[in-house]
Amino acid sequence: MLEKKERYQNRIELLQGTLDLLILQTLQWGPQHGYGISVAIRSRSGEILQVDTGSLYPALHRLEKQKWIRAEWKVSENKQRAKYYQLTAAGKKQLSRELSKWSQFSDAMAGVLNPEQT
Amino acid sequence: MNFWRRKTSGAELDEEVRAHLEMAAQARVERGVDQKEAQRAARREFGNVGLVKDVTRDAWGGRWLRDLLDDTRYGLRMLAKNTGFTAVAVLTVALGIGSNTAVFSLIDALLLRSLDVPAPRELVRISFGPPGDPEPMSGPMFDRLREQQSAFTDLFAWKNAPMVLTEKGGARPITGAYATGSAFPTLKLKPRLGRLLTWQDDEPSALSNGIAAVISEAFWLEHFGGDPRILGQPIIVDGQTATIVGVVPRSFNGITVDYAPQVVLPFIFDVAVRGKSSGRFRPDWTWFSPMGRLKPGVSLAQAKANLSTIAPEVLKESLPSDDQRIDYLRNGTFSLSPGRRGNSPLGEIYGRELWTLQALVGLLMIICCANLASLQLSRTFNRQQELVVRSALGAGRVRLLRQLVAESAILSCTGAAAGIVLSQWMGAGLVRYIEQSDFPVFLDLRPNAAIYAATIALAMLTVLFTGALPALGLTHVHTEEMLRSGTQRTVIHKKHPLAASLLPVQVALSLLLASLALLFAVSTGKLLRTDPGFRVKGITFFRVDFDERPEKGEALLDLYRKVLEAIRQAPGIASASVIKHLPLEEGGSDESAAPVEGNGQETKHLFANVVGPDYFATAGTKVLAGRDFSKFDRIDANPVCILNQTAANFFFPHESVLGKHIRSTEPKANRATCEVVGIVTDAKYNSLRQPAPPTIYYPYEQLPASGWGGFITRSHDTSAAVAAFKGALHRIAPDTPLLPPITIERLLEDSIGKERMTATLSLFFGSLGLLLTAIGLYGLESQRVAERRAEIGLRMALGAQRKDMLWFILREAALIFAIGVPVGLSLTFGASHFIGALLYDISPLDPRVHFAAILTLLSAGSLASLIPARRATNVDPMVALRYE
Repeated sequence: MLEKKERYQNRIELLQGTLDLLILQTLQWGPQHGYGISVAIRSRSGEILQVDTGSLYPALHRLEKQKWIRAEWKVSENKQRAKYYQLTAAGKKQLSRELSKWSQFSDAMAGVLNPEQT
Repeated sequence: MNFWRRKTSGAELDEEVRAHLEMAAQARVERGVDQKEAQRAARREFGNVGLVKDVTRDAWGGRWLRDLLDDTRYGLRMLAKNTGFTAVAVLTVALGIGSNTAVFSLIDALLLRSLDVPAPRELVRISFGPPGDPEPMSGPMFDRLREQQSAFTDLFAWKNAPMVLTEKGGARPITGAYATGSAFPTLKLKPRLGRLLTWQDDEPSALSNGIAAVISEAFWLEHFGGDPRILGQPIIVDGQTATIVGVVPRSFNGITVDYAPQVVLPFIFDVAVRGKSSGRFRPDWTWFSPMGRLKPGVSLAQAKANLSTIAPEVLKESLPSDDQRIDYLRNGTFSLSPGRRGNSPLGEIYGRELWTLQALVGLLMIICCANLASLQLSRTFNRQQELVVRSALGAGRVRLLRQLVAESAILSCTGAAAGIVLSQWMGAGLVRYIEQSDFPVFLDLRPNAAIYAATIALAMLTVLFTGALPALGLTHVHTEEMLRSGTQRTVIHKKHPLAASLLPVQVALSLLLASLALLFAVSTGKLLRTDPGFRVKGITFFRVDFDERPEKGEALLDLYRKVLEAIRQAPGIASASVIKHLPLEEGGSDESAAPVEGNGQETKHLFANVVGPDYFATAGTKVLAGRDFSKFDRIDANPVCILNQTAANFFFPHESVLGKHIRSTEPKANRATCEVVGIVTDAKYNSLRQPAPPTIYYPYEQLPASGWGGFITRSHDTSAAVAAFKGALHRIAPDTPLLPPITIERLLEDSIGKERMTATLSLFFGSLGLLLTAIGLYGLESQRVAERRAEIGLRMALGAQRKDMLWFILREAALIFAIGVPVGLSLTFGASHFIGALLYDISPLDPRVHFAAILTLLSAGSLASLIPARRATNVDPMVALRYE
């Protein structure tokens, strides 16, 4: 019981809009399916960022609609048919825009939180 | 995303989620977790599959559309399951909306619609006459007015005139019109083909260069097969040749709403036809109906001021110097009225009746809505279980509400579509009622934007009243309580307050409708039964047009004699004569006259008619004293006349009348005095509603200058009369256009056309209202009986008698009537003020009528509630209790 609660507390709620960035960034390393993306985000964040499927799939479909990613049905290593998403050219541009926005944002946050460093 | 691909993307999403779950489970299995446990864990981690899919689908956009489709599909399924309800509901809406649309489209065509020309609001109608008596003006007055005014961009005049078209096959009547050359440029119309009339076409120079004519698009298509080579072709109208120069577009049908001219000619054409006797430049012929287009920025008041400034000058230059009405005319002023809608003589006649009918169908619509609402309510009560289950499964109140509204919307839209179809032939029927005998009424009833807007508004209101309002109350469901009760029966036994209040409203409105319908019917029946003073059956009238004949003067009289004699000799003709003013038509002239002998008074309003020998025998008007006219009453004989009873009593009170003389006091009388040779019963020549005016009859051969109306015949059937007239004309005066016969029966019916229309339609709408109310009552009582089966069974098991049970059920119906009838009565009495003016010889408060209306309503109501009540008393207590 206690362990569960702790785990919940360790998880960080994703900031509004950051999920798109995470998805685009994950797809930069190559085509991936929904499950793969959620596993990748979790492991790269040291099990801290848990992507809720109820957020992940709507986001994937939204990004696809915006033509930043495109989907393709492929067979995985485990002979499992899955829908693979990959970045489009527009998606790459969007990623770099989001990245610079994010670094501005985190610099700004850092500046507010640690004023003496700047 | 394309809507039609949604189904395949739905399947793709399913597969995507399944793949996710399988991979997640697979990953766990690889870590050494048991297969089943792995699948469970993967599912747990994934969360609510349905919900995830749902929010993902939201990302596709257009969710509202999907929900709408879901609601619609579900609604359709529910309605299809309940064919009886659906049929009744759609029919109710269709009847309500159909009758409203039909009446409204007539009102729109006759009273509301603008002429289809650019900027119709700038158009103004101008008339001339003493205050309160606006009339057309003479040609010269129009010309002077047009020259001197400065408020309008231009003026034009228009005159509808039936014409005769001569072709190889013979002569036929057509609808024609005269227009000044300024008409089409001022109206800013564009030709469909060729060109329209211009000012040059109306100049006297056109007489030598050939006169131009334009034809309507409908006439072009019907008569000339839409052949573009028609331009430049000659057309013979009223015996004169004109050249077709263009086709008027079908959007414009003249400036009179119900008269569509097939040929439009310049006024100068009248000079070509009649030569010196033409009225074009005569100051004493008032036949120009002018209209003008205001200059931009000029208001109606400013234009009025402008015209009154120039009025003295215009009158001085254009009034006839020797006219008998000169005093009357000199007091005349120009009056202006908005001309956006053109003229609508029918609208003026039928306006009040049409608005009354619109009010009646409005009431009918409310009854329809109330009926539909209570049907919906009782149906939704039976669907409580369904609503509860859906609400328990997570449907929000808004969602439930939307579902119920969607069903009403489907019903209303289907009903509205059916209603529009229904209104098409109801509208055609209405036009047939309005039609007069001379000319088919032209009315453009094609549904336009205004009518569609009205229909859609009605449908929306229906949705609101029958779907949304009841649903609002019903979606307050007590989920737990109802689920716990677990039976198929509803727990909420309390009637919805709306359902309880709807039926008394329906009863009250039905009573109002029924009373009004009966009042109109009785009034019209009385009108139909009044004695007009002449025979109605078997009398046929034939108008003749001998203008083109070479015979004039005595020769023309002889022509009349010959035709009359030929008609009399024909088989099947009982009697025939000549008459100038037909009964019950607008025509007739007022004369002023005084008695020569005795001390009777002068009257200014003596109705004069000119008739032939044996007229009274033919028309069936009784000769009370003296004699009928004979063929010896000629120009060289002693001048004679015949008075009706009212005139005889007026001129010679308490004296013997025969042999006395009447002196005309007109300034320019045709003859000084005449001897009274007969007295006849009063005959109503002007209106059935009013008592006959004092009337004087002259023999036609003694008044040769008065112009002739036509021949009147009495025969067993009309076809004999038509054959006789055709034969006589063919032998004696061939080439004379054959005008359609007019029967007095038809004239009588036409003259009370609006009364008949109001009566027939209000009876129809009244019975519809009654039927709907009966259906509503039946539905309510049936439902009550079904709900209370167990209670009734128990009561009967405990010893209640049948008649107790009957009363138990009828109690509610009695209450509804106890509330509805007084309300309906007071509504009717409230409306009596407006209705009184439309009634003939009956008080709007006549107790017999209201008693009959209440009785009808009560019997329909008891019938509707007795059937379910009897069903209740037949409940077998054992069966009813076991059912629990």
